[in-house]
Amino acid sequence: MTLYPFTFQAMAATNEVQVHAATPEAARFAAALAIEEVRRIEAKYSRYRPESVVSRINAAAGFDPVAIDAETAQLLAYANSCYEMSGGLFDATSGVLRRAWDFKKPRVPTERELGPLRARIGWARVERAENTLRLPEAGMEIDFGGFGKEYAVDRAVAVLLEHGIEAAMVNLAGDLAITGPQPGGAPWRVGVQHPRRAGTVVATVDVSSGALATSGDYERYVEVEGVRHCHVLDPRTGHSVRGFQSVTAIGPTCLVAGTATTIAMLKGAGGGQEWLAGLGLPHLCVLEDGAVVDRTGGRPGGAC
Amino acid sequence: MAATEGGEKEAQSDKNGATLATLMRAALALPVLALPVRAQAAEVGEIGFALLGYKERGLMKISEPLMWGKAQIGDNWTVSASALVDIVTGASPELVSNLSGSPMRTVTGASISDRRTAGDLKVTRRFGPLTLGASRAVSNEEDYRSRAFGLDATYELEGKLTTFAAGYGKSNDRVGSADNPDLDERRDTKEYLLGITQVLSPTALVQSSLQWSRGKGYYNDPYKRTLTFYPDAELPILYDDTRPSGRDTLAWLTRFRHHDPGRGTLQADYRYYHDDWGISAHTLEVAYQWDFAEAWSVRPALRYYTQSAADFYGQVVPRPPPETLSSDQRLAAFGGVSPSVRLTWRLDTITVEGTAGYYYNAANLRPGGGTEGFVPLRAYYGLVTIVKSF
Repeated sequence: MTLYPFTFQAMAATNEVQVHAATPEAARFAAALAIEEVRRIEAKYSRYRPESVVSRINAAAGFDPVAIDAETAQLLAYANSCYEMSGGLFDATSGVLRRAWDFKKPRVPTERELGPLRARIGWARVERAENTLRLPEAGMEIDFGGFGKEYAVDRAVAVLLEHGIEAAMVNLAGDLAITGPQPGGAPWRVGVQHPRRAGTVVATVDVSSGALATSGDYERYVEVEGVRHCHVLDPRTGHSVRGFQSVTAIGPTCLVAGTATTIAMLKGAGGGQEWLAGLGLPHLCVLEDGAVVDRTGGRPGGAC
Repeated sequence: MAATEGGEKEAQSDKNGATLATLMRAALALPVLALPVRAQAAEVGEIGFALLGYKERGLMKISEPLMWGKAQIGDNWTVSASALVDIVTGASPELVSNLSGSPMRTVTGASISDRRTAGDLKVTRRFGPLTLGASRAVSNEEDYRSRAFGLDATYELEGKLTTFAAGYGKSNDRVGSADNPDLDERRDTKEYLLGITQVLSPTALVQSSLQWSRGKGYYNDPYKRTLTFYPDAELPILYDDTRPSGRDTLAWLTRFRHHDPGRGTLQADYRYYHDDWGISAHTLEVAYQWDFAEAWSVRPALRYYTQSAADFYGQVVPRPPPETLSSDQRLAAFGGVSPSVRLTWRLDTITVEGTAGYYYNAANLRPGGGTEGFVPLRAYYGLVTIVKSF
């Protein structure tokens, strides 16, 4: 058994798959299927592609319901659980705020711009049926940005394990899943990106098994009068969240780890840490002042 | 009051346990798998076996079968143990005399064969960021016996980028001699360590530690003597190896590691050493581990060493004889180079390593020159290690 690494481009980033296989052929075969799966999900849920499910749903906002397949329905059911569990903070319709926020220009949208957009947010108003979805109002949008990549990590792992791979690591631009310790039993030492210094790590986390996801305020943001406005937006105000530079969590699936960190960011420093502690998942936070809170040690958490 | 707080916490945890369960149910409706969450080191254990061969031209040969095992028990306990047998054959007693006009070493004909058995046991317990360890080591040979005890602690700062280490060790030794059954002397040493490891970047780290020790007791080598002929005297002066009855040492070690993913790892180490016998030493080692195939790596290394002589080092017994004198070459001023190469092969949970190395010590390898009359030392060694982890 040998570890075979592969890198590939998808979702506007460089990604990595490492598989533990008996032969290079078996490794290449399984890795190719996993990479294809990631690209399938990207094409299906990208809002930049006019033929994607997401583009079709958004284009039909205010008109007829759009037919959706089982996978899309289940993903939206997952988004619904996140909406309910987060008290409405995690809202798959909040992407509409991007019309006011241009993170390429150092400017904060005015209340006049944000007000009408906030009115178009509202997951509770989305009409979900078993195999259709309808956005009730023209101008409403749904967005899989908060969970599409995480789902792709989970699917890539499932594809690898279904195709005879014993152990694997999938890393889509920092959201990753690890199915077991390294050959020899050592855990994978995962470096957590420093939220303020590119190319350096703020902490390392040992992971033998599980999915690790990070949300941060450093990927897209603008700084106006010394205040950082990041791309994680509160659907209630339309403004950027405060309290964390980044949040990393380890969960049984990347989907759960990723939405756990996003909801923590949305809840802010106090509520976010309580939320993570309550979930029982190992986590690591970098607070607004740069302080690191490492809760990855101790007992393996999680109810699963 | 406390009970109320506890109750509230419990209620909150219950509620959020339900939160995770709800999210997991929704996630697992999708065609994905749940992975067990383990943010700590896996429960690992290993057993290993090593064999060392050493050949110092005409002087000594050691083979050292060594076995060790290590097991993690639960999340927080680790137990490790090792046992070794050294077999030393060849001539060791030596005499330095100036019989031929200049000082030279004579290896006496009396060949010795000795066997050393040693073992150690170490237990560590992790308390979150703090790890505490306690160890016990014993070593027995015909003319030397050692009992050592150690305590150490490491502490990781939040984020595990910085780790502090501290250690204390105590060793109680007994020195004897195969030639002199009456010799039974003590040597007691206390050792201290302070260290820091800092992760510099995703691929680089630096480690620095300061180690010092205080020793008291018998340091003489009962097998070494110095013999000096004076033209005006009929009988030569024969002087037993006599060293100070204490030794305080200080060592500062700094290591740097830079990993180049998919290619290899650069290692650079520097060590400074000083003791109150007057020896100052510098060691510089550079190595590159090249991962040239999935299961293979090769690690060429080059070490350079240089030391000054001990204050009481001499090849000739002066008149009148001093209080302390040793002609042991290891206390002379010299320099040395040691190239080595290590080949590693990994197959699943088995790792096999083979190392071959060479030592060359000589006076002219010390900048400015070493002790005149230093007999160059050439030695070869080979080491084979097999480790199975589970």
